[in-house]
Amino acid sequence: MNSLSPEAALSRISPELRPLLCTVVRNGRVGLDSSGCLRITDLKTGCTSLMPGPCCDRFKLHIPYAGETLKWDIIFNASDPELPPDFIFGEDADFLPEPSELPHLVSWDAGKPECLLQLVKELLQQYHQYQCQRLRDSSRLLFEYDSLLDDPNYGRSMEIYAGRKNTWTGEFSARFLLKLPVDFSNIPIYLLKDTALDPGEDVALLSVSFEDAEATQVFPKLYLSPSIEHALGGSSALHIPAFPGGGCLIDYVPQVCQLLTNKVQYVIQGYHKRREYIAAFLSHFGMGVVEYDAVGFTKLTLLLMWKDFCFLVHVDLPLYFPRDQPTLTFQSIYHFTSSGQLYSQVQKSYPYSPRWDGNEMAKRAKAYFKSFIPQFQEGAFANGKL
Amino acid sequence: MYSACAKDCGLGAYVSIMAASISGYTFSSVCYHSANSNSDHEGFLLGEVRQEETLSISDSHIGSSEFLSVIEVHNHEPCAQLFSFYDYAGNVNEENLNRILKDRRKNVIGWYRFRRNTQQQMSFREQVIHKQLTNILGIPDLVFLLFSFISTANSSTHALEYVLFRPNRNRYNQKISLSIPNLGNTSQQEYKVSSVPNTSKNYASVIKEHGTDFFDKDGVMKDIRAIFQVYSALQERVQAVCGEVDQSERVREKIQEEVNKLKEEIALRKRNSAEEERRLQEATAVTLPDNSALPDNSALPDSSHSSLTRVVLSGPSVEPSLERAVNSSSPPIYSTTLPPDSPSAILLPRPQAVGSPGHPSPSVGLGNGDGSSSDSLNRQATGQEDEDNSDEDSSEYENLVSEQLQPPSLSEAVTLGRPATVWPDGDAHSPPGS
Repeated sequence: MNSLSPEAALSRISPELRPLLCTVVRNGRVGLDSSGCLRITDLKTGCTSLMPGPCCDRFKLHIPYAGETLKWDIIFNASDPELPPDFIFGEDADFLPEPSELPHLVSWDAGKPECLLQLVKELLQQYHQYQCQRLRDSSRLLFEYDSLLDDPNYGRSMEIYAGRKNTWTGEFSARFLLKLPVDFSNIPIYLLKDTALDPGEDVALLSVSFEDAEATQVFPKLYLSPSIEHALGGSSALHIPAFPGGGCLIDYVPQVCQLLTNKVQYVIQGYHKRREYIAAFLSHFGMGVVEYDAVGFTKLTLLLMWKDFCFLVHVDLPLYFPRDQPTLTFQSIYHFTSSGQLYSQVQKSYPYSPRWDGNEMAKRAKAYFKSFIPQFQEGAFANGKL
Repeated sequence: MYSACAKDCGLGAYVSIMAASISGYTFSSVCYHSANSNSDHEGFLLGEVRQEETLSISDSHIGSSEFLSVIEVHNHEPCAQLFSFYDYAGNVNEENLNRILKDRRKNVIGWYRFRRNTQQQMSFREQVIHKQLTNILGIPDLVFLLFSFISTANSSTHALEYVLFRPNRNRYNQKISLSIPNLGNTSQQEYKVSSVPNTSKNYASVIKEHGTDFFDKDGVMKDIRAIFQVYSALQERVQAVCGEVDQSERVREKIQEEVNKLKEEIALRKRNSAEEERRLQEATAVTLPDNSALPDNSALPDSSHSSLTRVVLSGPSVEPSLERAVNSSSPPIYSTTLPPDSPSAILLPRPQAVGSPGHPSPSVGLGNGDGSSSDSLNRQATGQEDEDNSDEDSSEYENLVSEQLQPPSLSEAVTLGRPATVWPDGDAHSPPGS
């Protein structure tokens, strides 16, 4: 019952209610964290057991919010499908929204398929306000909230979850989920399209958990949408500085933002720099170029000859080029190692400076090849076999 | 309707607790309506709220009074469809409400909802409606009964769960236990009669028609009056008997006093007669030094003194009295004369002196208080010298004949005794009767 796919869940719902739920299940993205879409579980029926199926009309809706998942019960009546649903807000027994502020409830129209989704969004807004109200228990956290609210960058896209007081210590905890206003649009497409998942909107979310009302235990965490994470180099991209003791969000969040922006810049820059590098090599080595990565510009292979000795040079350009040095792999085309591979040698340290432009790098590389090749040749003859 | 607020003001805490009960037939009726509906179902609960106050005093705190509000659900009013008295936003329409409740509005104590396969928690709309109903109906402690019907996946087991809420309280005190009287093991508990008033018109008319057979004009059962009369009569009799007992006790007291007095007299006379005997003995000892013959010593010579012989012969009759006088071991009662005018004394049992030698069984009182009947017995025993008696003796002998008839029948009544006062024949003592 719990791990039903959306389609399977829909098939069990009473036919009259199906359009409403379709919208929720298929297109339902509410809140900041749109990677987790709305899920339906625990389908039950309010009809007698004599009713032939499918006639489920009540279910649990899982809504991601501020790093938590809200589980709300939604109760319809299959025999009166035109009536609006009722809600049980799970653990939040105190949450009681004002019906007059839910326009889609007051003028519920079962004929409109998006009515339920809109109602859920309105309820979430009310829920957000309710949580912000709860922050008033702690003046410190309230200050954090207010200061963020004033900032136009963050104020509008914030989700607060003010948790329950810890019954042992009476401590109050809260979680802030903020959407970071970082521009990911210039990230090269090739980086983004590798992901197998439906990327959705590229978003970076910063979640800051306050385990106590005095903000002495603060745990920040960065969430990136999978494509961004991949584009920025995997989970290492998620390392952010610790929350400074005594600091406040209004200082910390821009800091993280900047860090992320810088990373993105690096990545963008790196792309361009790599392009430049490859272009320069192409022009310098001309016919010597065997192949190169024309999309990401991460690899280049050259076939060169020195004194009748032909060899291959593979150049691997790292993500954070030019900060990180490219790796050169020399490969002999004649000799094999005992494992049947072509004999090769990797060179990671050679004269290099990130400040050189593409041309300069190509020239220096050429010079380096000349100096290194005799060494390589000897090695190849000595260790490899024809 | 009723105030049931909880205040904690330190000393003399004022606690309010609620208990609720629903009659079995109302409960089953609600379940029936609910289970037969193909959707959620709702309605109103009618009944009454009673307040009981318990004042408890203990050492730990100055009297605390406990208010127990008892809710009794007598009836219910189901709603035909959902949203019949409220709109989509949960606003309650008072007109529709009145149309559903009609004149039973004042009996409303709560409302109920039935929904299948949901949690036992008040939902959003239910809370909104509840607040409004509280205001509109003016019931501060309106209750909400939630039925939830849980079925297993293969419909093999269905559970009907019900929880009674009072949402107008703080959130930690919201659920009340609902009891259904007589739903349980009635072999162990008594079958409880509920105080639900019967509102059936048919019942009322039948009772009115036949009630006069059982009830009198005041509405009290006739049997009760009859029993009460019996009780009063018994009480009167008891009081009367008490009086009689009181009287007889007083009489008894008086008699007891007299008895004590007489005992003292007996003792006194005994002492006096003992004195006399002693003197007599001393006198005879001086004159007849060896006349210390015991009465049953037949070795005494016959011819020594005629008076003595006579004395000896009549020894058995004389000496018993002498002996009795000397031998103070015999009960002194026998040597005293009874006052002739106490007939009840005759009825008093007298202990028999078992083992006093030669003592004839005393005869029962024959009207002479002086023991003359025993005299007649004795005379018969020693009949021979009766012929030598004087006339007075023969007259007594005649008496003896007449009295002879009586002793045998009375001889077995030994316990009722007359003193066996035997006066020796021809003795200086003349029988008082003559």
